[in-house]
This record gives sequence, structure tokens and C-alpha cells, in this order.
Amino acid sequence: MASLIDIIGTGLIWLGLALLPFILWPIAVLIQPGILHRAASRLIKLQDRVSGIAISVAASLAFFIILIQLLSVLLRYVFGLSFSWLTDSIIFSFASIFMLGAAGTLKSDGHVRVDIFRRYFSPKLSAIVELAGSLLFLVPICLLVIYSSAGLVARSWSIFEPFNESDGLPVRYLFKSLVPVFAVLMINQGLSQATKAALILRGYRSAADTAHNQDATL
Amino acid sequence: MIEVEAILALAMFATAMLALLAGYPVALTLGGVGLIFGIIGVELGLIPLPILRNLPSRILGSMENQVLISVPLFVLMGVILERSRVADDLLDTAGRLLQNVKGGMGYAVVIVGALLAASTGIVGATVVTMTLIALPAMLRQGYDPKLATGTIAASGTLGQIIPPSIVLILLADAVSTANQAAAARSGQGAGVVSVGDLFAGAIVPGLMLVGLYLLYLLCVSIIKPDYTPDLAPDADQPALRLRDVLITLGAPLLLILAVLGSILGGLASPTEAAGVGAGGALLLAGLRLAPGQSSKWPVRFILAALAALPLLGLLARNFDLSLIATSGLLQLVLTAFAIGLCFTLIFGLAMAALVLKRARQLHDTLNSGTQITSMVFLILIGASLFALVFRALGGDHYVEALLTGLPGGMWGALVATMLVMFVLGFFLDFIEIVFVVVPIVAPPLIMLGADPVWLAILMALNLQTSFLTPPFGFALFYLRGAAPDGVETLDIWRGAIPFIGLQLLMILLVASIPALATHLPDQLR
Repeated sequence: MASLIDIIGTGLIWLGLALLPFILWPIAVLIQPGILHRAASRLIKLQDRVSGIAISVAASLAFFIILIQLLSVLLRYVFGLSFSWLTDSIIFSFASIFMLGAAGTLKSDGHVRVDIFRRYFSPKLSAIVELAGSLLFLVPICLLVIYSSAGLVARSWSIFEPFNESDGLPVRYLFKSLVPVFAVLMINQGLSQATKAALILRGYRSAADTAHNQDATL
Repeated sequence: MIEVEAILALAMFATAMLALLAGYPVALTLGGVGLIFGIIGVELGLIPLPILRNLPSRILGSMENQVLISVPLFVLMGVILERSRVADDLLDTAGRLLQNVKGGMGYAVVIVGALLAASTGIVGATVVTMTLIALPAMLRQGYDPKLATGTIAASGTLGQIIPPSIVLILLADAVSTANQAAAARSGQGAGVVSVGDLFAGAIVPGLMLVGLYLLYLLCVSIIKPDYTPDLAPDADQPALRLRDVLITLGAPLLLILAVLGSILGGLASPTEAAGVGAGGALLLAGLRLAPGQSSKWPVRFILAALAALPLLGLLARNFDLSLIATSGLLQLVLTAFAIGLCFTLIFGLAMAALVLKRARQLHDTLNSGTQITSMVFLILIGASLFALVFRALGGDHYVEALLTGLPGGMWGALVATMLVMFVLGFFLDFIEIVFVVVPIVAPPLIMLGADPVWLAILMALNLQTSFLTPPFGFALFYLRGAAPDGVETLDIWRGAIPFIGLQLLMILLVASIPALATHLPDQLR
């Protein structure tokens, strides 16, 4: 079992390294939109769908957390019972809401921006900001998160780390895995946003397309 | 000679502020600037590389933060109440109740603003809701546009200060950490600053603000009668029935008071209270949206669940029920009864969810709650990367030296901090300021002798004022966006000015009489 996990882990590292050049994809689209714009549009749909699925899971957990928090209150105050696995489930759901929801929120433009000047920007200028921000800020941050969390998560998997208490959830390694999963989802969506911006800059997509997409998902 | 680190830390802060103006999401801009300066620092040999690798453990810290678990629950409670139009009904009913009072709609806006505040705490939502509902009505009745817009903008910002506001929860976490840092630095033990402490501390100043707003409206209606017309009741509208008033006004009020009361009374943790609040909001939303649907059964189940909730509370308070060791017939019967009530409650919640789903609201509501939560916590993640590098460069020591070196001791440092925060409030949201600025400035201020709760309340009042101040105030932007085109921007700005005066008065009061903020928390502790 442990060796299987090892093999999967090594495989993931190589997969990550192989996909690394892909962060230049938006630049490639910017340089050669004529050849790449069809593939880019198709890929954007796929990337957006991944974030959409992740945020659907997060939204379901948002409903779930109300129920289990209420259940934990009832058990504790009415019947004097408390369970560590229930507390752990609440924490797990809580963290999953934003770790899985952040990418979908990026897609729907739900992350706050300072828009004192932005409101006067032309669509092209906004697209430049989007492209630069995704490649200079978002992707490097998430690469740092993946790089520096790898050891942490690997150690946790190697012992199938449980939550602390004896009656706690036995899956703390899954909880910790949310960190790199979050980063991968964010890079995926960040590249989608950057590609959209590249297409807008080269006139293969109108800013309204992106806005329409947002309305549909909000 | 000033060290290179200090210059780099200062440059980092300045770069972040400039970069934010480009309009890329704040969380990622903060983190990105932090990372770039971190790499520069590592290259120059000023900070060790392993510091950057602490980021995942910081993220894990946020994921396991017991205090912050209440944030998504309170967000959901607010979003559910807002999306299901419970909030709209609240404003509508309050307005009609007060329609025979001169300036009644104005009072209704202030009171409902304070109540909604209690549930959302996110400036935009409250201001937009009230602008859409109350502003057209007020203009139609002939209110002065300046007065109407000023009242709405100011009431919308009450959400920052009146508990259970989300920013107060975040602020409690930040100030508590700062308090421990200050204690560690000065070698003394520190008390924990809990969410309950801040909620208790905010109540008196918050209610006084509501009182000041109401008093101002009263004065205007006496001095300038034509600003607040009294209007013959609208003949088209059916008369208010007591039952409607009880349901639309009483139920949300009861829910909010129960949530707040159980936190302040120390009966439940904020997270537990928020869970009950979100569940209660779901039931109310189901009740609100059910009448349009064919089946009558959901309403009955939801009503049963709503009745079960307080009954369970009563049982829990008065009897010691146990599933494991039951002794005596009475306890057995009561335990069985409690189990029945629990199932009623759970079934009612499922029915409410079904009603929301049929009304095509469930997906949107949960999605919107998830997005707001993600937004808040991504800022926390970005800000922690920023803070990591800022600390590594010694930026916090530099700020501390700067603040402690100011003339006037604690007061000088306090005034300087407040001014900086006020200006930052023009382009940063409360959440960003709490995560970025408070951890840097609060420890030195606390070391200089500021009470943590008092400091937090002053900061909250200060930022609330900032959001109201033209030309950049957030509340004014949201109001402008939702107001009809006939309303002049200049009128919105001029309308805000009297309320800014009231805010400043309140800040001065709390600054000079700290007991306004600290007395209640001390009593409850």
C-alpha cells in the first residue's frame, strides 16, 4: 500500500514537472492567436468546468456544514454528547468550502478588487492587468504553495495521519491535501483567465463573453 | 543609518498599495508582491529561504482556526435571509408600520440597517438592498434626496459595528493574536480577546450610533419639515395584519437576538450560535418562499421545526438529558420527546431546503455564500504571505519604532494609526485592513497601553466612517451603483456629511470614555 502511494506521489511530481511549461500557454496564445484560438477556447471551457465542479462540491459542503454544526449543537447541549469525528467533519467542511471554492470564485470574478481606477479602464487595459496578474502573482504564489506543501502532505500520507483525538476522523492526510489541491485548481483557473485575456487582447473574444459567463455562474 | 531591510519593507508596502490600484484581485496582489519581495530578500541574503516555505503551515492554520469557522456560517445566515427576501420584507414592513410617523421611512431604514447589519456585515449587500427598496419609496414620498441617500449609506455601514458582524469576528482573531504578540514582547501574560468580547464591546457604541442617527432624523424633521414629508397612507396597500408583522418583523429579530444573546451570555461559542442562526435563517427562508408553491405540507413541517428549536433550547437549559444513562420515567419521556423534536427540526430543515430548491434559490444562495467565504479566506492566505515576508524583513519592528517614536505616546501613535487606516479605508475593504494592517500596528499600540477591545472598536468605528466619506467611500459607491439615475452624485456626497459628523462624534466619545467599549465585556467576563 505504502509503495503504491509512493509510486503515485512520484508520478504526480513528474506529471507536475511535465505540465510546468503549460504556464506559458496564455503567452503562446497571445503570440499566435490565429493558430491557437480554437484550441484555447475549447481548453477554457474545460478549465472553467473543472472549477465549476469544485465550487459545486464546496457549495454542497456549505449546506452540509449548517446541518452538522446544528447536529453537533443539539447533541452537545440537549444530550450532553460530543464527538471528535463530528468536530473534525465541521473543520474539514469549513476548510473545503474556500479551498475548493476559491477557483470558481475567481472564474465568477468574486474576489474583491480595488476598482477606483479599474472602472475607467478599457477592456484591453483590463485584459492586460488580468494577464499580468495571473502570470506574475497567481501562478508563482500557487507554485510556491505546491512546492512547499509537497513534503508536508507526503509525510502525512506516509503515515495516513489521522486527526488528533482517538475518536477523530482518520483522514487528516486528505485534509492536508486540500492545500496543494487548492493551488492546482487556482493555477488551472488562473491560466484560463489569462488565456481569456490574451484572446480579448487579440480580438478573438469580447469582454462581454467573459462577463456573460460570469452572470451565468453567479 | 537605516538598514536595507527597513527600506525594502517600506518599499514592499508602497509597492503593494500601488499594485492594488491596477485592479487585480486584492488577495493575489498582496501575496504576489509579498512573494516578489521575498525572492528579492532571499537573493540579497536578507532573509533565509525556509521562511517562504512556512506558507503552507500558515494556510493550514487558517483552515483549522476554530474562531473563523463561524465566518461561513454567519455569511450563509446573511445570504439566506437576503436572497429569500426576508430582508426586503423586513424593510417593507418596518416602513409601513412607521408610515404615519413623520420621517417614518427614514427611521425604518436606520433600524432595519442595524438589524440586517447584524446578519450580513458586508457593506455592499446591505447598502444595495436598502437602496433598491427604500430609496425609490423615499424619493416618491418626497424625501430630500440628500437626506434619503445619506441615511441609507450610513445605515448600511452599521453592519460593520453591530454584532454579529463578520468583520468583528475577523478583527477579534487579529487583535487576539496581536495581544499575545504584545504580551510576549513585554514579557507579561495576556488575556485572550474573544469574539464575544468584541461583540459585547461593540454593542453600546453601535446602539449609540443608531440612537444618534435617529436623533438626527428627528431634528431634521423638526427644523426642515419639507425634507421629510408626512404622507397620507397609501390607499392601494392592504392594511398591515398583526400576524404579518409578527412573522416578518418578529421572527428575524428573535433569531438575531437569540444568536447574539447566546454568544454574549456565554451559553454557546460563536460557531455554535452561528450554526443555529444559519439553520434558523434557512427555516425562515423556507417559510417565506413556501406560499407561492402548491403543496401546503412544507409550511407545516417548517413551522413545526421552528417551534421545535426554542423547545429544544428550553429542554437543554432545564433538564439534564442523556442518551446513555437514563434514570427515572420523567427523564426517559423527556429524552424521547427531545429526540422527536430533533427529528422534527431536521425534517423541517430538509423541507425548507426543498422549498428553496423549488423556488430556484438554493443553488444561488449556497453558491453566493461559498463565493463570499472564498473571497474572505483567499485574502487571509494572500495577506499571510505578505505578512510572512514583511516580518522577515523586520517591517514590524520598523513600524513599532516609528509608532513608539511619535510624540504624545500612546495617543500620538493611536491618532497616526487611525489616520492611516482612514485613508486606507478609501480603497481597501475592512477585511484586507484587518488581515494586513492590524497585525502590524496593533501590537505596538497594545504595548503602549491601549486596551485591545477598545482599540478594536475604535478601528471599526474609524473604518466605518471611512466607508462613508466622499469621494472614495465604499458605501457611497455601492449606493451610486444601485440608485436611480435621477439622483445626483453630489447629493449623495453632501447627504453623507452630517452622518460623518455623527461618526466622528462617536469616535471621540469612545476614545475619551473607553468604558463605553470595555465595560460590558468586563461585566460579562
